[in-house]
Amino acid sequence: MIYLAIGFPPAAKSCAYRMRETANQFVSQGWDVTVVTIADESWERDFGLDHTLSERVDPRVRIVKLPLVREDLETDIRKFSEDRALRPTQWAAAYRKKGMKEFPEPIYGGWKADLEKAVERIHRERPADLTVATCVPYVNMAAALHLWETHKVPYAIDFRDGWSVDVIEGGEAFSADSPSGVWERKVLSRALSLWLVNDPIAEWYRERHPDLADRVHVVRNGYDEDSVPARTRVPDADAGLTFGHLGVVTSPPRILKAVLDGWRIARERDPLVARSRLEIRGQIGSGATREANAHMELIRQAQARGEAVSFGGPAPKAELADIFASWDVLLLMIMGGKYMTSGKVYEYAATGLPVMSAHAVEHDATTVMTGHPLWTGAFGFDEEALAAAYSSAAKLAVDASDEDRAAARAHAAQYARAAQLGPAVRRLIRQAVPAPEGDGSSGTPSTAPGTHEVEDLSV
Amino acid sequence: MTHVLLIAGTRPQAAVLKASLEKFRAAGATVELAGLFAPDDIDPGLELTRLRSLTEAAAERGRMFEKRVAKLSAPRRVWATAERDRQVRGSGRRAHVLVALDATAVYTVWRLAQLNRRAHAVFGIAPALKAVEDRRERPLHYALRAVTRSVPTPASAARTTKRAARRVAGGALRRASSPAVLRTSVGAKSWRGAVVAPKVPDRLRAKLARRVSLSMSEGGRKAGATLVLKDAARLTADRALRADLLAEAARADLERGHDDAALRRSAYEAALTTADRWYAKGDAKKAAASLSSALTLAFPRAVHFDSLTSPLAEDPAGYLAPFRASTAFQAMTAPRGRAVPAAAPPAGRPLRLLVTTYSNANFLQAIRDRYADHPGVEIRFLEVKEDETLRPLARGAQRMMEYALGGAATLGERAEKALRPHLDWADTVFVDWCTNAAALFTLVDPGTTRIVVRLHSYEAFTLWPHLMDLDRVDDLVFVGDHLRDLVADCLPRLREPGAPALHVIANAMDLERFRQEKTGGDTRFTVGLIGAGVVAKDPRWAVEVLRRLREHDERYRLVVIGDGLDRKASAAARAYDDLLRRDLAELEPTGAVRLLGRTEDVPGALTGIGVILSSSVRESFHCGLVEGAASGALPVVRDWPFFAGKEHGARTLFPADWVVGSPGEAADRILALTATEETWRKATAEAAEHALTTWDWPVISPGFDRLLLEG
Repeated sequence: MIYLAIGFPPAAKSCAYRMRETANQFVSQGWDVTVVTIADESWERDFGLDHTLSERVDPRVRIVKLPLVREDLETDIRKFSEDRALRPTQWAAAYRKKGMKEFPEPIYGGWKADLEKAVERIHRERPADLTVATCVPYVNMAAALHLWETHKVPYAIDFRDGWSVDVIEGGEAFSADSPSGVWERKVLSRALSLWLVNDPIAEWYRERHPDLADRVHVVRNGYDEDSVPARTRVPDADAGLTFGHLGVVTSPPRILKAVLDGWRIARERDPLVARSRLEIRGQIGSGATREANAHMELIRQAQARGEAVSFGGPAPKAELADIFASWDVLLLMIMGGKYMTSGKVYEYAATGLPVMSAHAVEHDATTVMTGHPLWTGAFGFDEEALAAAYSSAAKLAVDASDEDRAAARAHAAQYARAAQLGPAVRRLIRQAVPAPEGDGSSGTPSTAPGTHEVEDLSV
Repeated sequence: MTHVLLIAGTRPQAAVLKASLEKFRAAGATVELAGLFAPDDIDPGLELTRLRSLTEAAAERGRMFEKRVAKLSAPRRVWATAERDRQVRGSGRRAHVLVALDATAVYTVWRLAQLNRRAHAVFGIAPALKAVEDRRERPLHYALRAVTRSVPTPASAARTTKRAARRVAGGALRRASSPAVLRTSVGAKSWRGAVVAPKVPDRLRAKLARRVSLSMSEGGRKAGATLVLKDAARLTADRALRADLLAEAARADLERGHDDAALRRSAYEAALTTADRWYAKGDAKKAAASLSSALTLAFPRAVHFDSLTSPLAEDPAGYLAPFRASTAFQAMTAPRGRAVPAAAPPAGRPLRLLVTTYSNANFLQAIRDRYADHPGVEIRFLEVKEDETLRPLARGAQRMMEYALGGAATLGERAEKALRPHLDWADTVFVDWCTNAAALFTLVDPGTTRIVVRLHSYEAFTLWPHLMDLDRVDDLVFVGDHLRDLVADCLPRLREPGAPALHVIANAMDLERFRQEKTGGDTRFTVGLIGAGVVAKDPRWAVEVLRRLREHDERYRLVVIGDGLDRKASAAARAYDDLLRRDLAELEPTGAVRLLGRTEDVPGALTGIGVILSSSVRESFHCGLVEGAASGALPVVRDWPFFAGKEHGARTLFPADWVVGSPGEAADRILALTATEETWRKATAEAAEHALTTWDWPVISPGFDRLLLEG
């Protein structure tokens, strides 16, 4: 199986978990998996690297790293042309546009030819029975389609958040007859299977392409069991609680501002919150603005005002369980609406800690959290409502019994990543390589046991 | 110890900066900060090693310097100040890590990095911290690197010297030819002399002329600003440069609200000569640029729209003669043909009609309504300007010219791809207004689809009809005979065999809704004018009629419905509006003139109007007048001067007694027919009857059926 997974570990991206599990699931089903991603240097510029993520990649997975980089995230000014240094905005606009001729995706469109060449070479060396392309970037799909058109290798798309649906604002991101719309239709119409992360997005695609409805499957992100603590600590109400937020901070600054304003109001009104602190962990900004953007300014301002807010930097995957174990309440801050889930909601739910929501009421995270016994509910981004939610979450933390925590973990058990991806991978394998009658095996036997081979074409 | 120099193009984010400084210090670095911010923008408690406000540094160099750098782009502004500041230069040389805190500071770091090759040069705090860490971990590596990179690159050194020399010379010229100097007659005279001095190389003369022209313009000597460019052009041997200078002179002339017709003509002739040369050399891009310049100079709005006359209307053939003689223009307008003729309307299924326009659908509603429910028609509407794919294609006139000249191949491919689904669907495409959409739809071979284009009026005075491939148009519709005559004079191809079929069909108007009872006892003394938003409506002519009426009877007054003139349109429009405002300042306070402004309820507004005027110098039809006549107001139509005396015009479009030759004749007609309530009632009843039986939509619509359904 050729797995086009740009963002595969060690990229410190939230998508890396899903990719790792997908590759591991295929290997566990006896498949020989070759992952196609891009050079570590690219991720270094982006949201950084987390080598602990690679530790749990099955050693039999072969990884091909293409020398593709996002030049717009370059921070070494010595590598800039004079024109770029002088006209950064125009340069960036031209760069975004450059690859669009090949494929209608800013920045990544120009990678199409390299990806196609790479999959063709891999297929020549180890003929593939299946290609899986996961998006973003969407240009991955072009390479999967190419292998189908040239060598009839069937493919599936792990579309995650989809393309033509605007998951932040809702509605259509582009029309069906636009270049992107035409590409989407073309790729999906030949795909064996199409995976999406939640029901609203899946429903969107079933309505947009009714003839493909039976190929659309919801494959939620889920949580990794080693990321959640076996036990959580007992809150100390006298000493104050620790509220924690974990994950890439990408919401618009106004959302973070509302969350911090709500925190300040809650501290003024509720002595328990006033004794508590708020810790933010995760990546903030990329390239030149890493940890130096409007979000960071808001956090540092709150810190400077003595509001017990702190930023603890990115959280390596291997340390997640320990980090969760050091917190009493989890702050779930997410943008978007009914089409947006986010990956962290599953881990949050599975920790057994109280979860305070800071997201729209109509949100897919609400779907996941409904029924969780230690959840405050979602009230949007009104500062007053958020202030009340902090107090309510603090109270939940102090009042929660061991039974409540166990019930919370039980609620989330359905979302274990393996439980989400395992059945999906097995179903896809059955479609790709139908088992002969009477044959109990589930797929193509692996031909490459043993080594964790990395082919880094960028060095 | 690692020295870090932070450069900021704007005020840094205070809290992020504070937290970052702690990290730098923790990593054993000293930090200096310089940038475009006021000194008190930075918290004094930050414990920076040094701080330099470039805003303050610029102020120290004087007002002239501040004004000059203020005109530069943001990245250049930071560098222009930084490179002249001793402290920043010194810090830049000593630093181990040069850091741009924002995008506008990148250029300054890039330049400093050319001079200090040992340093890291990075964009952003996180990469800077990483560089500091790296230096701490590998001191030997960086010590060796420092030895090998201890001098600036030769290219950088050379550039610095050259730029400095140029700056000194440029500075002297700037100071000596500043607007302040050129405001004086001695200064202006001496500089005009310098521009026409003998034996000056062409490029230097052009540069000098442009500089002097700009300063003269800023110094209030607008005529001189034009003259100096014209003088320089006269003495310039290089033909392309000469054409550029003439074009700049003509444009400067128009911008000051004047039109030197001879200068403008020589400018577009020169541009056409340049276009022909590029075309002969096979450079379609440059040929198109010159053609575009020529066409823009021939069709400025100030000359044709914001003026009471038009040289094109007076003598189309003479005005366009240089274009007809140009090989590049001939090539651009040469028919590209179509593979097959348009098919007859389909039998056995409804006709698929695509109605399209670019930005103005004001005259389409009645047509769209009629065919929306028509069993023989399946209609779609396409607003090209609203279509993300088509809009950029329709906007680029110059690219269309380049394509017609054999270049810009991708435009053809993109247009083909974007339009083909529409052309495949439609049996007939009806393009309203002969502008962008008409040019775009004829850029590609329409196949068997029939293309119908309607031209109203103003388009005749633009470059668009020349960009339309007439061989790909099956039918060209006009709203009046006079417009058809004018356009045929501009486009001789329309009179040749195989030209599109020409039709005249009046605008679609629902006149019945204007038949409402007049209100008030003195309605017949109220003279109305609908629409005064463009100079061509010549509201001052209406004011003159009013003055004459009020000499006889002060009960007469003028009511103007619609927006006022757009003063931003051109200097010519502003000049006209200044005169109009002077008239209104005298008449409005006495109640003699009332400006009603824009209203959605025109039929309601017309109930108080007894006389309706068409004071325009040019019209295609003047819907407002006909609506007024239908409402029971007395129509009085100026013999539109653009067409007066020609075979067709206002006199052939309207009953002879409606049309007058002068404000005096207009006043006479009004006085005679509003003398008594009875005479006014009788005259207006006849006019309303004529309007309704001639131009109401039920009368006109069969003409559209014949055009669109019968082929």
